[in-house]
Amino acid sequence: MKRLLYFTADDHSVYSWSRGRLALEAKFPGDDLGVTAFREYLSGHRGALFYAVADLAGEDFHEELIPYLRGGDRELVVERRLAQRYRDTRLAAALSLGYVRGERRNERLLLTSFTNTQRLTPWLDALAESEAKLAGMFSVPLLAPVLAARLGRRGGRCFVVTANSAGLRQCYVDEGRLRFARLERTVDMAPEVLAAFVRSETGRLAQYLSTLRVLPREGPPIQVLVVAPPAQRAAFERALVSDTRLSFLTVDQSEAVRRVGVKAAPAGMGAEQLYLHLAVRRPPREQFARREDRRSFVLWQLRRGVLAAGALGFAGCALYAGASWLDVVGARAEADLVQVETRTAQGEYQRITSAFPVTQTTTDNLRATVVEFTNIARQTAPPERALVYLSRVLDDFPLIEIDALQWRVERPGERGARASAAGAGSAAADAGRAPTEILEISGRTGTMRRSDFRAITAEVQRFADALRADPAYQVRRTRLPFDVTSEGTLSGDIGTAMDAGEAPRFTIELARSIR
Amino acid sequence: MTFSARELRQLALPLLACIALLAAGSALITWTEGGRAAEERALAAARAERSQAKERLTRIAEEEREVKEKLEIYRRLKDIGILGEEQRLGWADAMARIRTERELPDLRYRVERQQPLKTVPGKPANVEFYASTMRVTLALLHEGDLLHFLGDLRASGNAYYAVRSCSLARTGQPATLSGLSPRLRAECEIDLITILDRAAKA
Repeated sequence: MKRLLYFTADDHSVYSWSRGRLALEAKFPGDDLGVTAFREYLSGHRGALFYAVADLAGEDFHEELIPYLRGGDRELVVERRLAQRYRDTRLAAALSLGYVRGERRNERLLLTSFTNTQRLTPWLDALAESEAKLAGMFSVPLLAPVLAARLGRRGGRCFVVTANSAGLRQCYVDEGRLRFARLERTVDMAPEVLAAFVRSETGRLAQYLSTLRVLPREGPPIQVLVVAPPAQRAAFERALVSDTRLSFLTVDQSEAVRRVGVKAAPAGMGAEQLYLHLAVRRPPREQFARREDRRSFVLWQLRRGVLAAGALGFAGCALYAGASWLDVVGARAEADLVQVETRTAQGEYQRITSAFPVTQTTTDNLRATVVEFTNIARQTAPPERALVYLSRVLDDFPLIEIDALQWRVERPGERGARASAAGAGSAAADAGRAPTEILEISGRTGTMRRSDFRAITAEVQRFADALRADPAYQVRRTRLPFDVTSEGTLSGDIGTAMDAGEAPRFTIELARSIR
Repeated sequence: MTFSARELRQLALPLLACIALLAAGSALITWTEGGRAAEERALAAARAERSQAKERLTRIAEEEREVKEKLEIYRRLKDIGILGEEQRLGWADAMARIRTERELPDLRYRVERQQPLKTVPGKPANVEFYASTMRVTLALLHEGDLLHFLGDLRASGNAYYAVRSCSLARTGQPATLSGLSPRLRAECEIDLITILDRAAKA
């Protein structure tokens, strides 16, 4: 709920405003009694939000040029100019009219204030005492450019003429900026009389502004937007005949109310309802109240802003969380679907496997047991095969006598370790290779003479060659009874008793890869 | 614009509310993000499980053939006593019986402690392979007795007999008139391998 304090020369009214609906709450006389009554009224509405709108005669407008400045410097200059112009600057404002390009760039200002601010300040003090939040102190002329824009006049020069309860209000707006305004008091008049009064007063205003050179003497006619009181448009249009100087456009107040957006207003209320509504909905940046008078409002705005920022942040987080939650729901639904498919596949698997032969264990254990056992069996070998093979070969060598046999299974790693001194193979190279069965044969060459090196060597070599007959077997090493290589020492003892002694021994190492 | 202490106090509540709202929003995001991550993990796991189940289903024909093949071997292993707990008394009985039947002059053996065998990775945890190393010393009349001994041992079952090494040497004793004096001495090292399937039904 927002409240509007409407100042006129006769009395001051408080209107409530809610969603475009204006309602009269209280009316006070403009004297000290009125201020007292207003204080009593405020005691029941502490901390309320107020917009003050003054519709008073005697508003001063004065144009000034100041150097082109920004920020604090401009503010200082404006304050100084206002102080030079007005005795009391509490309700004074400076409206920028744009920049003038010349040798130096200057800014045009319209200084404005009320000629008698003392009538208004007790009311503002009462607001401050009640901790009311004053959004701004506006005058009807300050709101006229907004009204002109809402009625379709956004650029150029125009007069905005309205019949308010305070009197006939005339505002001169140039390119959307207020230049001048006046209020002419009216009494109850017949429509035709009021229309004629509007015609004559508008002409006087144009004449006055031309004299001041605010309006150019030559040029196209000035648009005059006249808001006619309800049901008086026809009378106004008859009286307001355009000429070369003024071009009238009459708008019925009910039409203006619709365009501005007022939803409801007290019966018989004049065109001031348009300004009051715009003060709430489209408040102009420039207004009369000082920063100190608006402090509660600024603080309230700050509190609302902080809360709004928190709410906005939470809403953003909630939105993001909502999107995440949609993902969660989607993922959960998909997971449910996937689980159903999994259960279907598992059920089908169970149904099919139930028709399998009875395994006495799980399928995985069955597979692991058999596969692993097969691997172990594949890497072992019985010694019988090698012994039988040797036995068959020996049938052709009656002179060979076996003293000892050594059979063993050699794993790749074991052989690598033992052969590392010779640099042959490493654990890495052995990895993946099959184990080997080794048969080490130690024997003698039966009845041969010990000194018959050639015959003994030939017999052992022939035996070794015979062992190679099966390609699965390899003779890895043959050690003769004596060293016949050039690097070794060869000795003999021919014709002595030793020559007929024990036959020389040999060793052959036979290997077969176990696959 | 500077604020008085009273004004700052008036601003404190909205500020606290703002902070609380932002914290609640952050907590909400953290909570939903956690939920989303958990659901995504669950979805990935469900997809993997479905993929596995479907893969198994497509391989079922092959699996049926494999089961039939392997079941034959599995039953054989069970029948001959390789599958199951160690039967040390059975081994001792078999050694005594072989010695008697083959009339071996001397037979000594020693079975070491059971040790688990290293097996392939990925094997089910409830299938274990064990080996007990047996060292046998035999006095032989003829080398053929060693082959007979090994054959009889294998036929006795109760384990898979993986011969690691065997040495055969002459004793050096001269032949006697009766001819019953052992002429050869054999020493063998044999792994007695058994398999323990804890999921197997009796």
